[in-house]
Amino acid sequence: MALPRTLRRTSPITLVLAGLLAIGFLLFIISPSSNADAVSTAKRKLTNAASHPLSPPTAPFVKQDTSVEARNKPPPVVHYHLNNVTTTADPITNEETVLILTPLARFYQGYWNNLLALSYPHHLIALGFIIPKTKEGNAATLALQAAIASTQTGPEAKRFASIIIMRQDFDPPLQSQDEAERHKKENQKTRRAAMSRARNSLLFTTIGPSTSWVLWLDADIVETPPTLIQDMASHDKPVIVPNCLQRFTNGEGKADMRPYDYNSWQDSQQAADMAANMAPDDIILEGYNDMATYRTLMAMTADKSDGRDTRAIIPLDGVGGTALLVKAEVHRDGAMFPPFAFYHLMETEGFAKMARRLGWGCWGLPNYFVYHYNE
Amino acid sequence: MRTLSLGLLAPAVAGPELPLETVRYYDLSNSDGTARGWEREERVLMCAPLRDAETHLPMFFGHLRNFTYPHHLIDLAFLVSDSKDNTLNLLNQLLTELQNDPDPKQPYGEISVIEKDFGQKVNQDVESRHGFAAQASRRKLMAQARNWLLSAALRPTHSWVYWRDVDVETAPFTILEDLMRHNKDVIVPNVWRPLPDWLGGEQPYDLNSWQESETALALADTLDEDAVIVEGYAEYATWRPHLAYLRDPYGDPDMEMEIDGVGGVSILAKASVFRAGVHFPAFSFEKHAETEGFGKMAKRMQFSVVGLPHYTVWHLYEPSVDDIRHMEEMEQERRNRENEERERAERMKKIKDEFNDPGSEWEKDKNSIEGISQQEDQIRKEHDAAMADKEAKDQDSTGKPAKETSDETVSKETKDTKEATDTKKVDAKDAKDIKEVIDAKDTKEIKEDKASKDAKDTKEVKEDTTSKDTKDTKEVKEDTASKDTKAIKEIAEDKDVKDVKVVKEKEA
Repeated sequence: MALPRTLRRTSPITLVLAGLLAIGFLLFIISPSSNADAVSTAKRKLTNAASHPLSPPTAPFVKQDTSVEARNKPPPVVHYHLNNVTTTADPITNEETVLILTPLARFYQGYWNNLLALSYPHHLIALGFIIPKTKEGNAATLALQAAIASTQTGPEAKRFASIIIMRQDFDPPLQSQDEAERHKKENQKTRRAAMSRARNSLLFTTIGPSTSWVLWLDADIVETPPTLIQDMASHDKPVIVPNCLQRFTNGEGKADMRPYDYNSWQDSQQAADMAANMAPDDIILEGYNDMATYRTLMAMTADKSDGRDTRAIIPLDGVGGTALLVKAEVHRDGAMFPPFAFYHLMETEGFAKMARRLGWGCWGLPNYFVYHYNE
Repeated sequence: MRTLSLGLLAPAVAGPELPLETVRYYDLSNSDGTARGWEREERVLMCAPLRDAETHLPMFFGHLRNFTYPHHLIDLAFLVSDSKDNTLNLLNQLLTELQNDPDPKQPYGEISVIEKDFGQKVNQDVESRHGFAAQASRRKLMAQARNWLLSAALRPTHSWVYWRDVDVETAPFTILEDLMRHNKDVIVPNVWRPLPDWLGGEQPYDLNSWQESETALALADTLDEDAVIVEGYAEYATWRPHLAYLRDPYGDPDMEMEIDGVGGVSILAKASVFRAGVHFPAFSFEKHAETEGFGKMAKRMQFSVVGLPHYTVWHLYEPSVDDIRHMEEMEQERRNRENEERERAERMKKIKDEFNDPGSEWEKDKNSIEGISQQEDQIRKEHDAAMADKEAKDQDSTGKPAKETSDETVSKETKDTKEATDTKKVDAKDAKDIKEVIDAKDTKEIKEDKASKDAKDTKEVKEDTTSKDTKDTKEVKEDTASKDTKAIKEIAEDKDVKDVKVVKEKEA
């Protein structure tokens, strides 16, 4: 009796061990994941998904049957109950959806990592990006798409409900995103007008019928507390901004932070007088020496001590857009980012003014920090 | 404890095979509207705010079926707010019918029905007590509804947004293409409404499409921050050129006119206008709100805003309270006239009856009497014949008893007939009596009617005359008064002159 050469050489023990290993592999591969959370969120995602591609982009839609018959079927009649869309101090319990909107010019991995670290349930978060159609924008889009691809195929709990990438239909006035060039005063008006248009384009095409909160988050915000959304929403204010700082290494070589966003302020008599004497299309800009407004800037009132009261809150007349949480009804009422001089204000500052004209208050958290990328 | 696994058996719900599309990519430069959108498959969002619109919905869906713009490129969005009638159910039913239409060209694209109640924000404060002042808050509320509708329904794929009121009665089926061809950022047709003949047949309806005027700008400067200028009220005389008043029924329908405020009945705007942030201000924006503020804001952002004075859509005519009152009066008058006519006809008939009936009765009586006499004649004849026979028989030999019996029978018969005629006569008499009584009554009534009418007429006449008189007398009085004053003046002047003369003479 001649056994095959290979079998003759191997002992039965190795065969048994190999068999056990094979069964182990099979079990490992076949046994279903017992991650109940992931399964339930996935189920919920599936039931909440729209049935047709023509649907609000803040929710995913079920992939279409590719047969001709299915494609020719007209979209269904969909009812949206906006009376039931709430914005409360406890958004997680009430399953309120958040739309995070970001005008993107450069993609920072720090921004994406921070986004992934947010502890707000990701299946309640939709992301919206608007990117100019420039060389820089193309590069940013590619980087963003790569990041999205890895996140949306990764662990279920980290996946966002829906992601919208939008390319701008107008050219940005300035090709350079260089900080020095960007902050030149004469460039500010056209830059902010273009930024306003980009923000409005993004906002009004994505907000849809089910969004409860809109979080404006600039692409260069690389560090926030993971509970950013819950913390800000817990104040139950129509418009609320944290204080935006920048980490840097000071002259002594130590880590320090400095104020970054000067657009959150309380108005002053001087600024009001200045506005009264301006031509209708002129705007007041913050942070320029030849235009001293004597406004109370929230960035300057930050208490940087460790034991600070992060829940301290102040009313504001102008808000910055680096991180800005807005109840969706404020935007739905029409509050947008004026790309023109609205009470001599533009963009986020003009937005605050418009929100207040519509009867919504604006608030700031001077001791609650988010951090801007250091260029 | 989690078991270690790749989870390949559970991918139907948890793995990467979840059949969901979560990432969407849009290039907004593909959503810029052009003059020939239907050829480039440009999507249109049609928005219709609804509030207690049940009665208009069937008409609106009639329009929907007739639009020539490819239906699958049009997304419909409705906002149903604060409706107390059956708007929602009917809308749902009509939409479902539309989407399930066997004709593949009928169903539309995405259909959103948005339900949101804003509540009645108009309080019983100083503002709302005054109809004109309530306009501002009313317009702001409508603006809010429009903004909610748009923000919920606008998608990155939309190239155009068309706002259409459901109470448009008549509009060209090609209106989308017609307006689109102009390739303007914001464009509106002229909006008129048909009227009943007694109101002149037709009338400009939408006064919110206008060109800005110096007067209005100056007026705006005097008003406080929250004031809203509304057209069509005496409080704000703006002297603006209105699109509505410039209509020439035979004018070129493609003629354009630059405008600053727009009306909301039928607005076609490029989606890029709304994407840029133009909306319907629910606050006083440059002293305007809602659609007029929309026009102002679009202008502020350098968008083109155009009206077509000779291209007209027709708004449904809904009679105002005054119109309804007037129409009720007219209806009442008509009914009165009809009643009068009917009464007159009845009266005429009665009068006719009065004179015709007795004649016929007489004739009947006559006939019946004649009948009786004829019968008697016949009986007599028979009797005579019998007698003759008898006589002949008697002459034959037997005779008398037979005669007696026959006599008896005859007398009996005659008695019967007599009685019968008697009763007939009585009947006739009775009938006559009753008739007379009735007639007398009727005539009385007629007389009374006439009398009351006469009295009324005379009263009216009197009133007329008195009012006339009073007017006349007033006029006369005024006349005389003015005359008197004139006369007095003249006299005074005369006197003065005379006095002067006298003085002069004296001096002389």
